[in-house]
Amino acid sequence: MEALRFNGTGSEYFKIWIVNILLTIITLGIYYPWAKVRNRRYFYANSSLGGRAFEYHATGKQLFVGFLIGILFFALYTLLGQVNPRIAGVVLIIFMLALPWLIWRSLMFNMRVTSFSNVHFSFKGKLGKVYIIFLLYPLLFITIIALFGVIASIVIPIIKDINPAILAMVGSIVGFSGIFVYLFFFAFIKKSSTEYVINNSYYGQGTFQSELESKRFFIIFLKTIGISFIPMILLVMSANFFTKMNPEILSYTGGTNGFVGGAELFFIVAYFVLLFVVMLIMSYMITRERSYIYDNIVLDDTITFESTLRARDLAWVMASNIFLIFLTLGLAFPWAKVRVTRLMLENTLVDTEFGFDNYITQQERAVSALGDQIGDAFDVDVGVAF
Amino acid sequence: MIEGKWHPKGSASQSDAELSVNDLGRYVIKVENGTFYRGDFSKVQISERLGNVKRKITLDDGSVFVTENNNAIDEISKEYQKASGFIHYLETHLGWIAVALIITIITAFSFFKWGVPWTSEKIAHALPSETNRVISSGTMRFLDDYILEESNLTKEIQDKISKHFYEKIAPLSVADEKQIVYTLHFRSWSMNNIQIPNALALPSGDIIVTDKFIELSKNQEEIDSVLLHEMGHVVHRHGLEMMIEGTFITVAVMMISGDGSGIGDMGMGLGSALVSSSYSRGHESEADLYAFKKMLLAHINPKSFSTIMNRITAYISTEENRTDIKSDNSTLLDYFSSHPTTQKRVELANHYSECFKEGLTVCK
Repeated sequence: MEALRFNGTGSEYFKIWIVNILLTIITLGIYYPWAKVRNRRYFYANSSLGGRAFEYHATGKQLFVGFLIGILFFALYTLLGQVNPRIAGVVLIIFMLALPWLIWRSLMFNMRVTSFSNVHFSFKGKLGKVYIIFLLYPLLFITIIALFGVIASIVIPIIKDINPAILAMVGSIVGFSGIFVYLFFFAFIKKSSTEYVINNSYYGQGTFQSELESKRFFIIFLKTIGISFIPMILLVMSANFFTKMNPEILSYTGGTNGFVGGAELFFIVAYFVLLFVVMLIMSYMITRERSYIYDNIVLDDTITFESTLRARDLAWVMASNIFLIFLTLGLAFPWAKVRVTRLMLENTLVDTEFGFDNYITQQERAVSALGDQIGDAFDVDVGVAF
Repeated sequence: MIEGKWHPKGSASQSDAELSVNDLGRYVIKVENGTFYRGDFSKVQISERLGNVKRKITLDDGSVFVTENNNAIDEISKEYQKASGFIHYLETHLGWIAVALIITIITAFSFFKWGVPWTSEKIAHALPSETNRVISSGTMRFLDDYILEESNLTKEIQDKISKHFYEKIAPLSVADEKQIVYTLHFRSWSMNNIQIPNALALPSGDIIVTDKFIELSKNQEEIDSVLLHEMGHVVHRHGLEMMIEGTFITVAVMMISGDGSGIGDMGMGLGSALVSSSYSRGHESEADLYAFKKMLLAHINPKSFSTIMNRITAYISTEENRTDIKSDNSTLLDYFSSHPTTQKRVELANHYSECFKEGLTVCK
């Protein structure tokens, strides 16, 4: 097992980042796709395994058209959202319908333009399957929940006259099982989507394989929720928290008086404390999922993977990054990104015993970057594990 | 002699290799396995320099030579390749980095300080006034369901205040915007068992006054001054502006943080909250100014506004002390406050009050 390495530095990336921003400003945003390519190239090319590096091959020109469409779509959505929420809702539904397609395109494109040691990755998943995972399953789930609601609204009036104690008991049983069903659904989606991505990915002629169980994700989710109860209880116990909170944070209504003082300071301190706690809980879930997934990926039945990422390390890096970014008004972003990338890569192990010498890039048709960029403008996570 | 690795076309296998270029611009790549590649160095395709990332030279047959020796490649390229690497030049020259940094900071600052509020104001006023009703349609219900309670004021008092408002105060705004229909609502609002004296305006023209506020005000003019302030928020479309400003900030943050790793966004969350609160301070001043101007026209002493504001502030601090909630009004926190310091507001009120005493209806 050998760990991936990251050879970039914060100061070097800072220069690239700041020039990117400068050019993006000067060109009124048009440079953005080229800036993105430069960012990606820097991070991919500095990631290496046993002296072999990754490479990002997309060009600014490839990303530009998709970028334009993405921006136009976003502007349309935002503007319509302000004028008429109903039309915006329609736009959003159209977007939801297009989302699986975007994910699919974006997967194909991103794999295609990524190489490791001169050999390209590729993705050959079926479009139908994306629609099943990201549209059909969620719709089915919503329908089931809605059905439960309908049944409840019929049953509750009937049984409420019988005995309030029974009603309360039935209610809590249904409520709890509802939460479990909900979590299990997410575990199932997580399993299906991860398997879909991995099992349809190729490294040259090499095939990735993974067999995952919903049950394992479900347990991770349950544990995560269990852990988040501790800070939640602490929060509730510090009774001042919500009662002292500035009501204008809840809703901007243009009040007249300035009666808050300590509340703001409290809000800021609470923000950071809460942030760290949230980071810890998130890190717990991310690292556990990552370990489970990596343990179960095999390339060509021979090359195995492992994640040694620890929750506390990830939480520390993420929380301190946020603090740094906040203190420097964003200027520390390049260092933050380098730090988190290094942590992730150095905790990703690959079995290199069999070597990669016999892998060869497979030819396939070029894919447009449309999906990638539209997905990006809406910040849809279509990132691929590595 | 430049050392590196050679890959056959599309293959992961690699061999050690050496590149050399002679005076005539002819290159030779000697691969470990005994193969040689020769040709014009001006014809090969070299990847653009990026930091110290390995350089890739693609040869005619699609095989590639990769090397870490960026400087040597740059040296040869200077002579035999087309000029390139303009961006790398910027990235490696301290002067340009400094320029980029300064321009970025100035642009970001101006963008947030003037660009966003200015554009938002333009957009907010360009949108049909129907928009204002749409965005606040759910707000009144939300407030009634979760925050406010029914008023305990008697019907007579409510009617008296309403009548005065609809007949004398609301018509003052007609010149500014004809389509606004003001509606006055009486509610009670308490937090921590403290009755909150406040007045709120929704973009739709719904104005809410709390019982405690009515109770604290000593005369009709004080109530009028606060109601005019709230009307100022409505006329200037501050609610809509806040929404547009929020959208701007979100998009800007997304652009800056690039790949959307989420880290940038989270750090910026608090940043945008601060920026927003600074915008809303601008809004308060604007609403104050609106109120003062109208008060001069309606022959109401602008002093009333600072009088009622002071009384409200005093009430809040005694209530907070009484209930043992620390109130900290240090100057640092003023920055985070969504309201201008009372001091400044009082000064402006006094200034307008001078004009009022001189019998002016316009004040500079």
